[in-house]
Formats: sequence, structure tokens, C-alpha cells
Amino acid sequence: MTTAHDHTFVPLWRRTRLWFLLWLLATAGAVVYLLWDAWPWLAGNPHATFRYTKLNQWPIECLWWLLVPGALWLQRNLIMMDRRWIWTITLHGLTAAVITVLFIILDGVRLVVANHLPASFLPAVVNDLHGFGGWSYTPALVYLLLIFALYAFNFYREWRAGQQLTTELQVANARLETRLVRASLDALKMQLHPHFLFNTLNTITSLIRNSRTREAEDVVAGLGELLRRSLEHRQEAMETLEHELEFLHRYFEIESIRFQDRLKVEFDIAPNCRPAFVPSLLLQPLAENAMKHGISKDPAARRLKISAARDGTRLILTVYNDGPPLPRDEGALRNGIGVQNTRTRLQMLYGDEARLWLRDQPPCGVRAEIIIPFKTTPHP
Amino acid sequence: MTTNSRVHWWTSLALLGLSGMMAFVFFGPRHSLTTVRRLPEDRNVLRVAFTQKLLPDPHRRNFPLPQYNEFILSLWEPLVQCDPATSRPQPAAAESWEWSSDRRTLTLKLRPDAHWSNGDRVTAQDFVRAWHRLLEEHGTGAWVLAPLKNARAYLQGRVKDVGSVGVRAQDDLTLVVDLDNPRSTLVVELADPLLVPLHRSTDEVIKAKSYYDTPTALITNGPFCLEKASEDRFRLEVNKYYHSRDSVRLAGVDFIRADGQYVAALLVEAGVADLFVPLPYGPVRERVTERPVNLESELVLGVTAVDFNTLRGPLRDIRVRQALALALDRMGPIQKYDPGHMVPAWSWVPTMPGRTGLVLLKEDAAEARRLLAAAGFPGGKGFPVLRMALPRWMESDPFPSAFCEHWFYELGVRTYLAYEARPKWEARLLAGDFDMSYGTLVATVPDAGDLLSGFLQPLEYTGNKWDNSEVKALLNEANILPGPPRLAVLEKAERMIMAAVPSLPVMFAREQTLCGAEVRGWYPDSLARQNLRRMWLENPAAPGSAAPRS
Repeated sequence: MTTAHDHTFVPLWRRTRLWFLLWLLATAGAVVYLLWDAWPWLAGNPHATFRYTKLNQWPIECLWWLLVPGALWLQRNLIMMDRRWIWTITLHGLTAAVITVLFIILDGVRLVVANHLPASFLPAVVNDLHGFGGWSYTPALVYLLLIFALYAFNFYREWRAGQQLTTELQVANARLETRLVRASLDALKMQLHPHFLFNTLNTITSLIRNSRTREAEDVVAGLGELLRRSLEHRQEAMETLEHELEFLHRYFEIESIRFQDRLKVEFDIAPNCRPAFVPSLLLQPLAENAMKHGISKDPAARRLKISAARDGTRLILTVYNDGPPLPRDEGALRNGIGVQNTRTRLQMLYGDEARLWLRDQPPCGVRAEIIIPFKTTPHP
Repeated sequence: MTTNSRVHWWTSLALLGLSGMMAFVFFGPRHSLTTVRRLPEDRNVLRVAFTQKLLPDPHRRNFPLPQYNEFILSLWEPLVQCDPATSRPQPAAAESWEWSSDRRTLTLKLRPDAHWSNGDRVTAQDFVRAWHRLLEEHGTGAWVLAPLKNARAYLQGRVKDVGSVGVRAQDDLTLVVDLDNPRSTLVVELADPLLVPLHRSTDEVIKAKSYYDTPTALITNGPFCLEKASEDRFRLEVNKYYHSRDSVRLAGVDFIRADGQYVAALLVEAGVADLFVPLPYGPVRERVTERPVNLESELVLGVTAVDFNTLRGPLRDIRVRQALALALDRMGPIQKYDPGHMVPAWSWVPTMPGRTGLVLLKEDAAEARRLLAAAGFPGGKGFPVLRMALPRWMESDPFPSAFCEHWFYELGVRTYLAYEARPKWEARLLAGDFDMSYGTLVATVPDAGDLLSGFLQPLEYTGNKWDNSEVKALLNEANILPGPPRLAVLEKAERMIMAAVPSLPVMFAREQTLCGAEVRGWYPDSLARQNLRRMWLENPAAPGSAAPRS
């Protein structure tokens, strides 16, 4: 994470200290070598001449070595002036001209020294150089190419940084989205728990009013167990079908007390489906729905069947009750909080890969069917 | 990115300041500069600027530059020297010479008073040794000995023993030269700086370059000997054993290296040097000092010419060649590009000592167009594009393109200037795969016959491939004739050549020498072989001069 301190101006000296030191060391080494090479001439040895020293033979290399840091510094500073491009171009053009002239003058100085001419002849020598085509404009070309290369490198680096930033933002967005989904799921789960809790509490109240205290105690104990497991479930968005069925068993134990011997719950679970991961508390709202709108609405209804089967890459879960058919009011059905939450969760977790149907099952009863991808890992 | 400028005001100011200083260098004073005062040890020492590396080895030269000639002839003396006024041979290391009756053997008598700089006598064996060394080097210079018996065969590898070449020492003071064929110019050819004698120790000294540490180790027989030597500078002092040392009026000669012709000329103007030749071609720049200098000039014995390949295409037709010759405009390009050096050539041989150049050609564009039309190309219609073979180093020479443009303008003849690397160019010339070539021929002997000798072996040595038996017979005849009859025969041959125009002379060149005004005794030499022992410095009151030795 960046802070305001990241944008504080750091002097060039500090930013490039290592490179500058290396350059300084190399320069010092080169100076020592050049002096060592030119020493016989400097010491006045009659056999030694300036013409054959490296000082005379390497003028271009030496001058470029001295100029390159300055050129880099100038380019680094001028690149900031992206909105003053005329000024930038002018300065670069002026610098190119100055460097070219510097090379021409250096050539003149070299000729003056090598030929034992007085310094006052420098202008004459420089102009004579022009006479025989000795004015080389290559340094300007080299400088401009160098600057062009530096600009290209900088733009490439910025483009790369932009790309990297975009990727990081995308990753951050994805994480954020995942968190949002998780938060939404938690919120949905939090909606389920009170709904179930109120029903159960109503059941307990009803048992107590009917003086069925023993059963009421069992329900309270069962509810406690359910809540404990429910709290455990809240930590995870996905659970194995095995766990989900255990939870349902607890739930039906409570409901069995409510409905006494009238309720007959059947489980038809294919063994290979038990390790499959499903959204936690997926079946409980449907079971509760079946109890509320099916079993409890028709005294003759007593059968509730939970089944699970694998169809290739899909897991098919059904909750069937032999209660009355679905009400005509489709809107009420669609807007039932249990079904609506389940549909929303499936959509968030699986998108179009998941289906939830609620339909009449002739000759009697209602069947809720869920199709989700068959997963053996907790990630949807 | 920020839009704030991070180039401080002082950076811009520094750049501007630097620019100002540079502008001062560019536009600074370039006139009336103060000259360098002559050092006391340089009194009466002639300081000569040179631009190409000099080696005290008479056999190491790529081209006979004046500086090389002056350097070698200051250190060594050949058998003869040429009279600059008449080009006739004069005694030098040899006091006399005699031809055999069949003019195939030349016997030279050496001066008995000729000594090396260490006091040893100069003997005939010293010449034999030097000439053998020159042959064994197998450089281009060795071909100067080609007229000697078996020399050509040796250089071509047909003879292995250098001892069989026709030069021998009959005794200490008698040198005998045997020739394959008579050659009347042989004696003046012996004035070539390549043919100087070498002391028996010299070969080793040159190989070891020990003259840098011990200059006196280089033993020479010329008017001067080595006093100090470095790669940049050769200081010569008078050879106290030189037979005519009293005639030497200089105390010494100092050869000073300069980086190029412009700088060398500047050295003379600055008072650092007294003499430089040749001045660079092109326009003369303004003077930078007020040192009095003289610009001396001499016509070089050479000719710049266009060779027409007479074995190929329309150039086989003499009318076409004559049309090209008459249509050319020489003065226009010369005036435009180099009026100081170049002069138009109206014949093959320029004016030289003892012989005035002929005028055998007159430009006439109308006649040229008529001749071309008569040859079947009116207005240049149907005339193929001519390929002019040129070496790459001539790319900066403006004259070939100027001449070709004029041909197109006058005759409608188009030319392709094909610049090529040297090996390819040479191979093309040898194979005759071209229409025209362009180049300069420089004589090594002050004799008209030397410039014409290329027509003796046209298939080998010229680009025109013009094999004319009549001209060859005349040139062979001239080779055995002396004096005026010889000149008459050469003139006849030259007229025949100019009439047939196998090659078209376009320009002669002047060599320009820049001398300090105190330099005396400079004389023109068409081969640029001025002997510095003839010069001296005068007017000791002037800066950079000293009184002559008596």
C-alpha cells in the first residue's frame, strides 16, 4: 500500500548514488590510466609525443564517458515536463548542438596540442576543420538517439507499471468481490437462522402450553445442538452433503416432536453423493418449507423424502412432501423467504449452472429440486 | 507526472554560458594572430612540415610524395641528380657514367670522396646491396628497376636469384648496370630516391628501429644525417663527411609531423614550420597571421585523363572518341572547383624543363555534335550509357561527374559513374569490363617518354587498350635516341595519340608549396624532388630566420 511518503522528492544524488559512485570510480581509474599512459609526454621525454597518447587517440570515448551522466540527468529532468514539450525539444536540441560543438572544439584542442600550436590558434584550427570536412555532426545524432532510447525505455517502463497496476487492481477487485459474496452469503444465512429459530421457539411454546414439558425439553436440547452446529456452519460457505444431512437429521428430530408419529422422513442418498460439497444450510429451508406448506397444511400428509443423486457433473437434490399442491399465488411462493434466499445463494455461487424448481408432483405432493455442479472441493 | 520544471534556472544559464564560450571559439579572432618565435636552437634550421608518416627507409613508400622525396634525398644521395632547369642528369654519388656501344650496359664511376656519415667510403657494393634489398621487398617501388636485366623476370617470379639481376660492383668505385633493352632515360631514372645506396648496417638498424634511441646508428651518405628521431619529428644535422658539405648552407633540417594538410599550412603561418608541400586542394583560405610567406608553384609532370576503352561499344569508332574530346569543357569545372591547382590539358605531356607542352586539341562543341551524328548518334540518340569505372577513393573528386554532365549537356551522351572498391575496380580494368576510366598518371622520370610509355603496353598498363604498332615503334625508337632527335620522335608519337584519342587528357596539376619568406633557394621540380641542401634561410632580423652559413 502506498502512502504519501512514497511521493516525497528524493534527490538524484541519493537515488543514483550507487551508479554515480561506480561512474566516479571508473572515471578515476580512467584518469589514472590516461595519466600513466601520457606520463612520458607530460614528463618531457623527448621521444614521447602527445599524438600517440591515449588522450589524443580516445578523445571521443573520454568525452562521451564524461557527458553521458549529464545527458541522463537532463533527460530524467526534462521527461517531467510532459506538458512543455516545445521547451523540452528546444533544450534537447540545444544540448545536442552544444555537445556537437564540444566535440568539434575538442578536436581542435587536440590538433592544437598535438601540433604544438599556440592556444590563440584554436579558432583558426576549428574553422580549418570545417574547411576539410572535419566538423562531425555524429555526436548530435548519437545524443538524440540516446535520448530517444531513454524516452522509449521510460515509456515502456511506465506502460509495464500501468499493466502491473491494472492486474493488481483486477486481483484486488476479484478479492473484494469474493468478500462481498461471502458477506452476502453470511447475511443470507443470518436471515435463515432467525426464521428457523422463531418456528422452533413457537413449537416449544406450543409444547409448553400443551404441557408437553418433556418433549419441550427435548426440543430445546435439539435446538441447542442445532444452534451449535449452525454456528459451526457459519464459518464455512460450503459443507459436505454428509454434514448437511446430519444437520437435517437434527432438524427432523425437532420436527418429529412437533408432529409426533405423523411425520415420516425418508432419505434416499446415493453413497457417491455424500462427499459432495454443497452450500451450507441449502436443504434446511426447503425442508422447512415442505414442513410448513406441505405436511402441516394437510393432516393426511406425512411423508417427506430427501434424495440425492449424481448425474454426470451435476448433483441433483430433491425434497418431496406429499402435502397439498402449490398455491395458485405464484408470487407468494416466489417471494417466500426460504426459497428466495436459496435461489439467490445459488445464483451468487454458481450463476447459471445452478437450478431450483418447485413443482407439484402428481398424483399428490410437491417436489423441490436443486441441480448444482458436483464438486468435491469446498470452492464453488 | 508533474508539470513542474525541474531544470533549474542555473542549468539553462550554464548551457547558455557554455554556448557563449563555444561561440567565442567559433567566431573568435582568426586574423593577425601572433606567430611563434623561432627557438635559438632552430637558427638556420629549415623546418619542414609533413603529414604522412615518415620512415627513414628509402624503400618504404606508397606514393612519391614531396615530403618523402625531401626526407630521403636529405639523408641519402643517389647516383645522379637532375638539373631542375633542363632535367638533364648531373653527377651526385657517381661522378661519371658511360654507355656501352649497344647501349645495353651502363658503367658508372663513383666519387672517390663520397663517404658515409660514419666516415666509411661509399662503394659500388652499397648500391648493389640497396637495389637487391629493393627487389627483395617486392613492393611497387621495385618496378623502377624493371629495365635492368632479369629484373622484370625476378619481380614476376620467373627468376629466383636476385643476384642474376643486372647490377654488379666491378670494383669499389665502379658500378655496372646491364639492361634487357636499350633505354635512353635510364640515367635520369637513377635519380629516383628509391635507388640510393645503403650502408651495410642500415638494413638491421631499420628493422630494429634503433634510430629512435641512437639516431647516429642510421648511417647515411646524403648532405644531412639523423640527429634526433621520434615518430613525430626527425631532426637532421649536416653530415660532416658529405663530399660537398661546404655548399650546404643550412645548419639542419627539422621534419615536423602535422595532422593533415590544413594544419601543416597553419604550422607555416604560425611560424612553427618554414615549408610545406603540397597545399591542400580546393579554395585557399584566408591568412591567419601576418608572417610573410611565399606561395610557390610548379607544374607536376603528370596528366589526368579519361581512358576510352577502344575495344568496346561505340568507343571503337574514332569519331565518337573525337566527339567526346572536342565536346569537353575543361575550364568550367576547373574554375569552379580548383583554379589554384588545376590547369587544362591540351596535350598528353605538360610543359616541363627542356620541353614546352604542345597544344594539340581545341574544344569545339559544334564539331563534336557533327562527328557524333556522323557516327550514327545524332543528338546522342541511340547512344548507349557509358560506364566509367572509378575507385571508391575518388568519390569526393568533383571532376568526373562535372565532365560527364557536360557530355550529356552537349552531346546527349549519358554516363554511369561506377565507384567500386579497389580490388573490384582493378579487376574490372584488367578484364576490360568498362567503357571509360579516369585517373592521373604521374611520371617518375623528368622525361616526356615516361608519360607516353604506357602506350607501349596498352593492354597491361592503360585503360584504353589501344594497341597501335606505329606508336609503339616510335616509342621504342625514342628509347634509343638521345637529345633533340628523341624529343622529335616523342612529339610525333604524341600527335598520333592525340589524333586517335584513345585517352583524353583533361587536366594538369600544379603543386603548391608554402614557404616562409626567409626561405631561399626553393626551385620548381616537376617531380617534386627538391633537394633541401640547395636552400637556406635569410634575413636574420625577421622572426624565424637566421643568417646563412658561409
